[in-house]
Amino acid sequence: MDAIFHNLMLGLDVALTPLNIMWVFIGGLLGTVIGMLPGLGPATGVAVLIPITYGMNPGTALITMCAVYYGAMFGGSRASIMINTPGDASAIVTCFDGYPMAKSGRAGTALAVSAIASFVGGMIGMIGLIFLTEPVASFALKFGPAEKFSLMLFALTATITLSEGSILKGFIAMGLGFMMSTIGMDAQSGSDRFLMGIEDLRDGIDFLVIMIGFYAVTEVFKNFGDLEKQYDVDAKSIGKVWLKWSEFKESFMPMLRNSPLGFLVGVLPGAGGTIATFLSYAIEKSVSKKPEEFGKGAIAGIAGPEASNNACSCGALVPLLTLGIPGSGTTAVMLGALMMLGVRPGPVLFEQHPEVAWGVIASMLVGNVVLLLINLPLAVPLVQLLKIPQRIMLPLVLGMGFMGTYFLNYSSFDFILVSVSALGGFMLSKLSIPIPPLVLALILGGMTEQSYRNALTIANGSAGIFVEKPISLTFLVMAVVSLIYALRKHKKSA
Amino acid sequence: MNKKWTLLGGLLASIVMAGSAGVASAADWKPTKPIEIIAPAGPGGGWDLLARTVQKALTEEKLVDQPVLVTNKPGGGGAAGWNYLKGKAGQGEFLAANSPLILQNNILGKSDLTFKDFYMLANLMAEWEVIAVKADAPWKNGKEFFEAMKKDSANMHVGVGPALGNDDHIQMLMLAKAYGVDPKSVKFVVYPKTASEQIPALLGGHIKAITISLGETLEQVKAGKIRIIGVSSEKRVEAIKDVPTWKEQGVDFVFPHWRGIQAAPGLSAEQKKFWDDTIAKMVQTPTWKKALENLDWDSYYQNAADYDKFLAKQDEEMRTSLKAVGLVK
Repeated sequence: MDAIFHNLMLGLDVALTPLNIMWVFIGGLLGTVIGMLPGLGPATGVAVLIPITYGMNPGTALITMCAVYYGAMFGGSRASIMINTPGDASAIVTCFDGYPMAKSGRAGTALAVSAIASFVGGMIGMIGLIFLTEPVASFALKFGPAEKFSLMLFALTATITLSEGSILKGFIAMGLGFMMSTIGMDAQSGSDRFLMGIEDLRDGIDFLVIMIGFYAVTEVFKNFGDLEKQYDVDAKSIGKVWLKWSEFKESFMPMLRNSPLGFLVGVLPGAGGTIATFLSYAIEKSVSKKPEEFGKGAIAGIAGPEASNNACSCGALVPLLTLGIPGSGTTAVMLGALMMLGVRPGPVLFEQHPEVAWGVIASMLVGNVVLLLINLPLAVPLVQLLKIPQRIMLPLVLGMGFMGTYFLNYSSFDFILVSVSALGGFMLSKLSIPIPPLVLALILGGMTEQSYRNALTIANGSAGIFVEKPISLTFLVMAVVSLIYALRKHKKSA
Repeated sequence: MNKKWTLLGGLLASIVMAGSAGVASAADWKPTKPIEIIAPAGPGGGWDLLARTVQKALTEEKLVDQPVLVTNKPGGGGAAGWNYLKGKAGQGEFLAANSPLILQNNILGKSDLTFKDFYMLANLMAEWEVIAVKADAPWKNGKEFFEAMKKDSANMHVGVGPALGNDDHIQMLMLAKAYGVDPKSVKFVVYPKTASEQIPALLGGHIKAITISLGETLEQVKAGKIRIIGVSSEKRVEAIKDVPTWKEQGVDFVFPHWRGIQAAPGLSAEQKKFWDDTIAKMVQTPTWKKALENLDWDSYYQNAADYDKFLAKQDEEMRTSLKAVGLVK
């Protein structure tokens, strides 16, 4: 314990130099802006930064990159709230309640909740990173393909059972998502599946393109009918970016509950922010006293997932720092940049370059505070967006959506994909088929399938592996329970 | 004397200028617009790192006058980026990073592109392939490992990623054959996210071995968590001096995981010469050498002529071993 504090002081010594604080600030601001733009995620932000880091010492370089990574996590949800366009996969959930809140004139509150929840989640995640790295890393190793499959199955059932409307429609949505996820090259056999003669589909369907279509562009279609309508915005409350005490109380427990969850999910290999945020949303909705508010602007529906997301990004650093293996695209970029500077993250990083390892951890504590200070005032100009009339705003959203789509893969084929999915999303909403299970199934489909096959390969074909492993069995039982619970609830309400 | 030479020089110069102005200016072709190095994958991978390392060396050593940009064009296992390069025929300002995938995509029938569609400028670096097991596993060398596999292949799962048919996979197949194990009987578990999934899976005891490039395992080896039972290099690798090569273990198998750089098709002789000279200079610079050292990459420089011969030979070898396990019809 003493050693940890000693190291932390060493780290703070490094982090609190004026130069490093300046870079945390620049990186955080840059990351926030990048995170706000659809299609530009933290990975791109960090990659853009690499040439700037050439001249830096490794500590400052890593600190700056972490600040961008972190800033993008804060920024990703801004676009979700303001224009229903998630900046990356882990910001999808913030659309569910953030956008309705913005539409009803509570954008300031939504932005404040998301910034504060991000801060709390980040802080709790940091505490986890500082004190729990070792035990958590060894727990994560127990996660084999069987456990991963069951976890994803649970995340999917939880999302279905908690979505609006009939469970059958939830299953239809999930089925559609799975079907779309099978398009493209199959990793196991290398053979092409369901290309329908379109070569561009070989790499599969990028879920971010579908997301931009389903959320941003569909929203434009929906609003096309009432162009003259202004958002119902109270001019006085619009600039107010803070929380009432009652609102703070409402968001407090969700933050505390979901931060540890997000951290744990972040540590698991290949799970990531998407599962963390969807699970948090499902949990918050099921424990809420007012589940009917979810989807219409529930504060807990923003606070929980946002805290979970930022805690998750701390968790993702555990495998990077302890095993030297990147847990996400962004950490992969950071790893590459560090190696070019001659530092290799890994099990011996803490012994060989303690000032780098602990400097980064300490700088993230500082960065968290800096980002809160950046994001709260930044919300003030952002909420002014709501004053823009629909007839100007909608074309802007459309333009941003298409621009973001192109940035993802630099492929013009994705324009067709985004248009088709926008039409599809419009039809689904008319049929009141819920979108979240579809998007989640599309994101997790490939991983779920490969985990299932890997589990069976390891067990030499015996499906018993899913119930023989205790962790896997636990998730399966939870999935079944959530399904039964939902069926009974629906019966009652019917 | 001096005057004489000056006169002669002046005469020669005027002849050249008068006689063949076109040739004279083409003889020193230079990029006239920003140079674009295509990394045919997203940021963070091997191609991206190579492209950015070349960018760094060309810029910092002032080998070119134009700015150098790296663009990421992911898709189709490199095919998207290489197709883009193919569309730049005759333009000397476009380069792309490559790897054995340019052969494997074609061998596996995933792409019509071959290395013959480009000017294969130079091979640049190699990483070596290894087979790694957990530190407390009973197998110390190739012989013990493959003996165990011969006895009970159903319980000797090998992790590979991101998909079958790549270098990691081919190494295992060729080694299995060399040690007298039927390559078809090897149980592969495929991890699409490569090392970030393979290493935890190995450490967690879910699989028995991984076939992977050396760099991905190095930190774990240093920390004493995994053991390498053989390496595919010609001579022992400095970073893992205790590990014998496959050759030392009595198997005639050397297998580099190389990466190089290619230019657009249809270049003029002058354009080719410019890049041949520039890259030959680049690999001698301290910036390049230092970067390779930091990244634990071995230099594997081959000029365009040698690279071409090398590619033809590799193509043949890989086709044969993938045919043996039915991945190539």
